[in-house]
Amino acid sequence: MRFILVDRIHELDPGKQIVASKTLPAHEELFRDHFPGFPIVPGVLLTEMMAQAAGRCLDADGTHPGRAMLGKINGANFREWVRPDQEIRLHAKITQNRPTYATADCFAEVEGKKVCSAELFFVFAPHDRFAPDHRDPVLEAYWTTHPSQAR
Amino acid sequence: MTQRDAIEWIAKIFETSPDQLTSDTPREAIAAWDSLGVLTLMASLDSDFGIVLTDDDVQGIKTVGDILHVMQRNGKLT
Repeated sequence: MRFILVDRIHELDPGKQIVASKTLPAHEELFRDHFPGFPIVPGVLLTEMMAQAAGRCLDADGTHPGRAMLGKINGANFREWVRPDQEIRLHAKITQNRPTYATADCFAEVEGKKVCSAELFFVFAPHDRFAPDHRDPVLEAYWTTHPSQAR
Repeated sequence: MTQRDAIEWIAKIFETSPDQLTSDTPREAIAAWDSLGVLTLMASLDSDFGIVLTDDDVQGIKTVGDILHVMQRNGKLT
């Protein structure tokens, strides 16, 4: 399993808010263990999905000295089971956007029903820590269809 | 906000007991006052009080009392 936990960006206002989605297919191996006979998407992955969506919103802003990395999870709540093959809509609103840190109010919903929420805190890791040829395929795909927003 | 309230607020930021904190408590004595703790403090001062720290402010904060001083300077302590 790759660790790209956002399939697609639907709406993006760089540095401010994002709506994205992810679907974990039933054939993913993790569902053999989480849980046997009762496959549900782990809460830690839901949190990571929200973090990856919010992180892309911050990275798309292009004003930080590095790439957004999850630094702290505040008050995460999980309200509903999420099944394999269900599309998970990821919403993040950036509430603080400073050069060295950022915060985001996030939630995920399935079929219009909120399944989890969290307040996430981000720090920024210098760009030179990452592979120089790395490109984010999810952001690139979004910018291909929204060229006016491309950096 | 009184100084006692402020110390309780600081204790919450650094996930410790207010009973462990006095104005003289140094950064080194608080486990969660690490690099992430500094950023958490900055974000919390910003969101809760509208105080935006400069780099010089951050460099100068070495004790709980220094945080209280920043809050007082910005009119947040009675």
